[in-house]
Amino acid sequence: MGTFAAIGIAGSALGTYRKWLDAVSDNLANLNTVRATDETAFQARYIVAQANDAQGGDSGGVHVAAAAYGSAEGRIVYEPNHPLADAEGNVRYPDIDMASQMTQLIMAQRGYQANASVVDRAREMYTTALQIGRS
Amino acid sequence: MSVAPISAVLTSSVTPTAYISSASPAGAAAAGATDGAFASTLASSVDGLQAMQAKTSDLAVKAVTGNLADVHDYTISATESAVAMELTATVRNRAVEAFNEIMRMQA
Repeated sequence: MGTFAAIGIAGSALGTYRKWLDAVSDNLANLNTVRATDETAFQARYIVAQANDAQGGDSGGVHVAAAAYGSAEGRIVYEPNHPLADAEGNVRYPDIDMASQMTQLIMAQRGYQANASVVDRAREMYTTALQIGRS
Repeated sequence: MSVAPISAVLTSSVTPTAYISSASPAGAAAAGATDGAFASTLASSVDGLQAMQAKTSDLAVKAVTGNLADVHDYTISATESAVAMELTATVRNRAVEAFNEIMRMQA
């Protein structure tokens, strides 16, 4: 770990939370994306976070290892007036829970803020170290 | 912004004190200096600072041209180079202070 390890580690976390925010944003944007029943539903996007040290090492930090996708099945909804409705009057909605996505939105935001304040505190601490013996 | 390296002037005219060259392998190795002299350690630290500032201005250009993927990448890089700048300036100031102290000594 180098001189500014804390800042680098918090920076990697900021990147991860930003990608989580992107994923949630995509899920919320496609919350009402309707498909015909012979197609797969829009699949919710989730990120898989992994510690940078998972394969050994002592660099610290986190990264996005992969994206995971939700159910392709979706929800079958009876909407006979919908232009995409099949013979039985059904369409396919994505299986995304808005309340859950909003909760994740808050978690991503708070995680981002927490790591941003780590950067600030680390800077304050390094500045304090530079003040030692100054006066 | 670019800072010219100062290694050429200092390494030839300053002889290292014996205890620094033998006792500071950790700091010298980390800074990339081989002979352990304070001058070359400071010079390589300035080189490191310059690289850090180059990265920051690179990210600043990316920010204004709209190619910056992460806003925090720039702000973190700017913070790091500001702290590193302050650290290098502090080390330099302390060295000059010590030098002046020695110059004030009575014979």
